[in-house]
Amino acid sequence: MRRLPRLFFLRAIIVVTFLTLTGWPSRAQSTLQVPPEWNKALDTLAEKIAATAKPARTFSLDVRNISSLNAGDVSGLRQTLVEDLTGLGFSMTQKVPGEAQLQLTLSESAEDYVWVAEIRHGEAREVVIVSAVRNLVEKAGAGKPSLTLQRKLVWEQDERILDFGLVPNGNAAGASILVVLQPDKIAFYDHRAEAWHLNREIAIPHARPVQRNVGGRMDLQAGTATLVDGVCVGEFQRPETVTCKSVPSVPDADLALMQGNIVEGHAALASNCSGSPLLLSTGPGDWTEPDFIQAYEDRNQREPIAQPIQFPGPILALWPSEDGKTARVVSRNLQTGAYEASTVSVSCGD
Amino acid sequence: MKLRPFLYLAAISVVLSAAGPLRPARRPRYGGTLRVEIGAIVHSLDPAVAAANPEEAGAKAELDALLYDQHSEDGTFVGTAGSGAFRVSAWEAGKSAVFAANEDYREGRPFVDSIEIQMGRSAHDRMLDLELNKADFAQIPAELARQAADRGVRVSASRPNELLALVFLMGRGATENARVREAIARCINRAAIVNFILQKEGEPAGGLLPQWSSGTAFLFSTEADARSAKEIWAQISPSPKLVLGYDSADALEQSVAERIVVDAKEAGISLVSRAIPASEKANVHGGSESPTPHNEAIHADARLVRLRMASPLPSVSLAAFIDRLGPLAVINGSPLPKSASPEDVYDSERSIINGGSVVPLVWLPQVYGLSARVRDWKQPAAGESWPLADVWLDSTTDAH
Repeated sequence: MRRLPRLFFLRAIIVVTFLTLTGWPSRAQSTLQVPPEWNKALDTLAEKIAATAKPARTFSLDVRNISSLNAGDVSGLRQTLVEDLTGLGFSMTQKVPGEAQLQLTLSESAEDYVWVAEIRHGEAREVVIVSAVRNLVEKAGAGKPSLTLQRKLVWEQDERILDFGLVPNGNAAGASILVVLQPDKIAFYDHRAEAWHLNREIAIPHARPVQRNVGGRMDLQAGTATLVDGVCVGEFQRPETVTCKSVPSVPDADLALMQGNIVEGHAALASNCSGSPLLLSTGPGDWTEPDFIQAYEDRNQREPIAQPIQFPGPILALWPSEDGKTARVVSRNLQTGAYEASTVSVSCGD
Repeated sequence: MKLRPFLYLAAISVVLSAAGPLRPARRPRYGGTLRVEIGAIVHSLDPAVAAANPEEAGAKAELDALLYDQHSEDGTFVGTAGSGAFRVSAWEAGKSAVFAANEDYREGRPFVDSIEIQMGRSAHDRMLDLELNKADFAQIPAELARQAADRGVRVSASRPNELLALVFLMGRGATENARVREAIARCINRAAIVNFILQKEGEPAGGLLPQWSSGTAFLFSTEADARSAKEIWAQISPSPKLVLGYDSADALEQSVAERIVVDAKEAGISLVSRAIPASEKANVHGGSESPTPHNEAIHADARLVRLRMASPLPSVSLAAFIDRLGPLAVINGSPLPKSASPEDVYDSERSIINGGSVVPLVWLPQVYGLSARVRDWKQPAAGESWPLADVWLDSTTDAH
C-alpha cells in the first residue's frame, strides 16, 4: 500500500481553503451569470420562501432540475437563490432531521420556466411558485475543425421571410440597410443605436391569394425582388425609389422555376481555405424537422468537410450572396415559430 | 417583432452520421388526393345542427376546421363553408365526403388537390387500411399505437393532451362521503393502467394538467396506496356498494373501469363497472342544454370522462375542464383568467383535486397513422385542428 506523500494534508488544506475563498463567486459575479430577468424571479421566489418558511431560519436546500436548463444555469440559479435567502437572514445547512427542508424544482411549462419551492417542516408542506422567461439566451457550441461553418443570425420575425440582404445606405455613408422580402411586402430597416429600425415598407400587390409555399428572391445589385406574381424594382440603397407591382403568373411553371434553388438546397461559395469552391447543402428533411447545412468540396463527395451547422427548424431558402463568400439562409425555428434570417460563412481554423 | 443585429454566432459541434452524398431536400409538391378515415359518423355539416354525441362533435369540428376560415371565441365556426382551405365537393351523410382544395384560400391553396373522407371506420379497419396503404391518414386509439407500429404503420403521437379521469357524480348519496371518494382514489394503480392497458402510450395523471403544460404536475402524487385505501374503507360503516360507469362504445374506458374494479376489490371496496349507452352518456357529458346528472337511468355513482385540452396554456385548459365538469360533479374551483400565474393555476388545480370529486387517471396522446407518402404532417397543438392544408403527398411513394 502506497503511503500518502509528505505534506499531503497541508496541501489539501491549502487547496480546500483556496477553493472555498475563490470557488464561490460574489453576488456581483453570479449576477453576471444569471440574466436579470431570472434574478428578478429568484428575488420574488426568495421573498415568497421567506414569508412561508417562518419561523424557521435554517433549512437544507435540495435543487432538482427537470427542465431544459443546463447544468451551468442550474448552478448559477442555486447560488443566486442561496445568496438571496442569506440576505434575508436565512442560513443553509446539511439535511438534518427535524430541520426545515427546502426543495427547489426547476421545471418548465408550455410558456416559461416554472420554479417551484417546497418547504417541508415536519408534516407540513408549503409550495410557492414563480415563473421566469424562457428562450432568453441562446448558447453557441464550439467546434474547431480545420474548416468551420459559422452562422450569424441577422434578423428574426414572426412573419414569413422569403429573402433578405444588406446593402449600403445610400442616404448615410458607412451605414447599412437590411432589406427583408415577405410574401406581401418588402421592408427596409436602418441600423441605428445598435438596433434595426423600420424605415419603410412597401406592399406587394397580388392579383390572388398568395401560394402556400410562395418563393421569392432578391438581386440586391440589380435592385429587384421577384415573387411568383409580383416584382419590386428600385435602388435598394434608397428605399424611396423602390416600387412594387403585381405581374401575371402561371403558378405551376413559375413555382417550379422559383423553387429550383430551394428544392435543390445547395449554394456554391468561394472558399478562402483550400482555394477550391465549396458547396453548401441543406439536410434531407421536410418542413417539420430541424435542419442542417454542411459543406462539400464537390457534388459527389460522400463526407462533408466541416461540422454541419444545426438549425432548430427547416431551412426554407439558401442563396449565395453577391460576394460569393457567404450564403443567405432563411429558416424557421420550430420551437418559437419565428422565421430567421442568417448568414453562413466559412472560416479556416487551425 | 424582435431585433437582433448581428449578435448570434453559432459554431457547431454535433456530428451527423447520416450525412451522405448530396441528397435533395424534400420540399412541398402540389397535387394528389389524401385518403382519410375517421371512426365517427358525421350526419350533417350544417353548423345549426348540433352533433348527436361527443365523438361526432369532435369529428365534425375537425371537418369544419377544414371548411371554415374563422371561428368565434366559443370555438364554433362562423362565416361561409368553403371559406377555409377546402370546399365540399361531395357529401354522403354519415358515410363519406370529398373536400376539394380552395384555390383562393386566404392563407394559400392547400398542397393536396382533395381529401377523401371515409366515416364510421372502426379502429381495426383503420389500422388495416393504413397497413395495406389504402388510407393516408387516420386516428389510432392510444392503446393500439404500439401494436400499429409493430405492424409497420407509420405512427405519429402528440404530447399527452387528453385526460381520462374518474368523476364522482353529484347527487349520489354514497359518494358524498369524502372518505368513500378518498378510498377509491387511493386504491387506483395508474402505473398498471399505463403499462398494461395503454402499453406505455400515456402517463399517470395526478393533476388536471400535464407536466409539459403547467410545469407543476410533479407536485401531484400518482402513487397507489392500497393499504391506506383499505384502512379508510374499513372505517366506513355501512360500506356502500358503488357503480362505476363507462362509455359503452369506448374500449379503453371499459378496460380502465374493469382494472379499477380489480384495484378496488383488492382494497376491499365494493365497486362494479357498468356500460353507459351513448344516449345516456350525452346527458352526463353536458352535451345537452340541461344536463341531467340525476337521471336514474344512468345508475352510476361515478363515471369515466375524457377531457381533451383546449389549449397548451394551462389556465385556458383548466377553465375548459371546470366548465365541462361543473354540470357533473361538485367542483371546488372557478375559471381563471388566461393570464393567471402558474401559482394561481396550481392553487386552483390543487383545490379541485383536494375536493375529491375528480380523480385524474392517465394522460393520453393523440395518435395518428400516416401512409409513407404523407409529408409535412405536424402534430396539432392542444386545441388545434388537423393541419391538413400543410400536408403534401410525396409522388415518389405512390398510393396503391
